[in-house]
Amino acid sequence: MSRYRTVGLALAVIGLMGATASVIGNFVAGSGIDVDNTYQETLAWTFGLSIFSFGLVKIGIALVLMGIIVVRLWFRVDAIKTSLVSLHGHGGAPGVARGDLKTAWGKATVTDMPPRLLPIHRLARFMWRPMLAMGAMALSTGLVASWVWADKTPGTESFRQAAAFTQGVEFLGETLLLSGIAFLSGTILAGLREGGGEVQSSLGLPVTTLKMPATAKAFVALMMMGMMAGIVQFVLYLGQLTNADDPASFASWANWLGPLRELALGLILAGIALALVTIGNVLAFQFDRVKSLIRTGA
Amino acid sequence: MTTTLHPTPTTTPPTAVPRNDGFSVVRSDTSLGYNLPQRMGRRLWLPMFAMALTGWAVGFILAIVEAGTDRSDVDDLQTLGHLVPAFMFIGFLGVFAAITFAVARILGEFRKGGGEVQEAAEAPVETLKMPTTAKAMLGFMMMAMMVMAAGIATNFVAAGAFDGTNAADIIDSARYGAVGAGLRRLGVVTYLAGITCGLATIIEVLRFQAIRIREVAASLGQRH
Repeated sequence: MSRYRTVGLALAVIGLMGATASVIGNFVAGSGIDVDNTYQETLAWTFGLSIFSFGLVKIGIALVLMGIIVVRLWFRVDAIKTSLVSLHGHGGAPGVARGDLKTAWGKATVTDMPPRLLPIHRLARFMWRPMLAMGAMALSTGLVASWVWADKTPGTESFRQAAAFTQGVEFLGETLLLSGIAFLSGTILAGLREGGGEVQSSLGLPVTTLKMPATAKAFVALMMMGMMAGIVQFVLYLGQLTNADDPASFASWANWLGPLRELALGLILAGIALALVTIGNVLAFQFDRVKSLIRTGA
Repeated sequence: MTTTLHPTPTTTPPTAVPRNDGFSVVRSDTSLGYNLPQRMGRRLWLPMFAMALTGWAVGFILAIVEAGTDRSDVDDLQTLGHLVPAFMFIGFLGVFAAITFAVARILGEFRKGGGEVQEAAEAPVETLKMPTTAKAMLGFMMMAMMVMAAGIATNFVAAGAFDGTNAADIIDSARYGAVGAGLRRLGVVTYLAGITCGLATIIEVLRFQAIRIREVAASLGQRH
C-alpha cells in the first residue's frame, strides 16, 4: 500500500469533515438570521474553514499524484522495459521511417533517440513543490484571518477589511494549490514521455512519441491564465481593503471580485481536466505501442 | 477514435481467480474493454467541460451587470446576487464532473490497454475488479452532483422569490443565500474527495499492472 495514497485519502476525509462542519455552521446561520442578528461572524468562520478544508483535500490530491509520479510510474516503466526484453516479437515488420506520422491519437514523431523533455515539462517538474508550499502557507494565513474577521463587529470598517483580506489570501492559496496540482499533472505527462522513450530505446528500436496535442496546449494556456487571474484577484482584494471606509463602493467591488476569484480557480480546473484527458490519450497510445512491439517487434 | 456503449465481446465469461498478493481479479480470454462508468467518462467529459465554460461566462457577465447596478435598486441586486453564484457553480459542477470523467477515462485506458497487452502476449487476461476507491469515486461524484445542484437550485428559487421590498424579504433572501452557499461548498468538497479516490485507484492499477506484466513475461519466457 502506497504511503502517499494512504495519507492523501486521510487528508481527503479530514477535509470532508471540516467542510461538513462549516456547512452545518451555514445551516445554523441560515435558519437563525433575523433583524437583530445577521450571523455575519458565523458566516465569516464558515467561509474560512470551508476554503481551508478544500485546500486540505487538494493537498491530499497532490500527495496521491506524487505517489503516482515518485513510485508507480517508474515501476511501470521498469516492469514494461524488462518484460518486453522477453515478450517483444520479431515478426519481420518493415522498418519505421524517421519523421512525422499520423496515429489514431494524433500526430507522432519517430526518432532514433528518446526525445528531450519540452520546456513546459521541465517547468512543471521544478514548480510543483514551491506552488504547493506557498499555497499551503497562504491558506493557513487565510484560516487565521477568518478567525480575526469573525471576531470583528459586523458593519464596521475593520470587519470589511478583514473580509477582503481573508477572501483574497484564501483564494490565492487555492490558486497556488491548484497550480501545484496542474504542474504535477504536467510532471506525469513528462514522465510518460520520458518513460515511453526509455522503453523503446532500451530495445534498440526507433522511438515513436506523440507530439504535443491541442488538449495539452490548451491545458498550459488555461493554467497560466488561471494562475495570473488568481494573483490579480489577490491584488484587487488588497485594493478593496483600502476602500473599506465606503460601504457602497466596497459592495460594488465585492460583486465582481467574488466571481473573478472563482473564475481564476475555474480556469485552472479546466486546464487540469484537459491535462487528464491528455494523459488518457497518451496512455492509449502507449498501450497500442506495447501491443505492437509484442506482436510485430516494431 | 470511436466510442461505443456496447461491451466488448469475450469468448468466455470472466471468472474470479484467487491471487496471493491481495488483488481481486477476474480472468478472461480477451480484454474486457471499458466498463460502463468508463464509457460514460469517454462520452461525457467534453459536454461537461463545455457546460463549465458556459456557466462561468454567464455568471461573470451577470457579476459585471450586478457591479454596475444602482445600489438603491434592491430588487435587481437581490436577484443578481443569487443568479451570479448559481451560474458560477453550474460552471464548477461541469468542470468537476469533467475531471471525474477524465479520471474514469484514464482508468478505462488502463483496463482496456492492460487487457490487450496480455492478449497480445497470448497470456490469460487478468483484470482488476473495480476497487473500493473506484466505487467511492462514483458514489462521491453522484452525491456531489446532487448536493451542488440543490445549492444551485436554492439560489435560483431565491432569485425568483424575493424582491427586497421589505425587511422580512431581505432576511429570507439572506437565509437562502447562506444555505445555498453551504450546499454548494459541500458539493465542491465531495467532488474533490471523489477525485482523490479516483486518483488513488490509478495507483492501485499501476501497481497491479507492473506486477502482472512481469508475471506474463516470466511465465511465457523468451518467445523467440
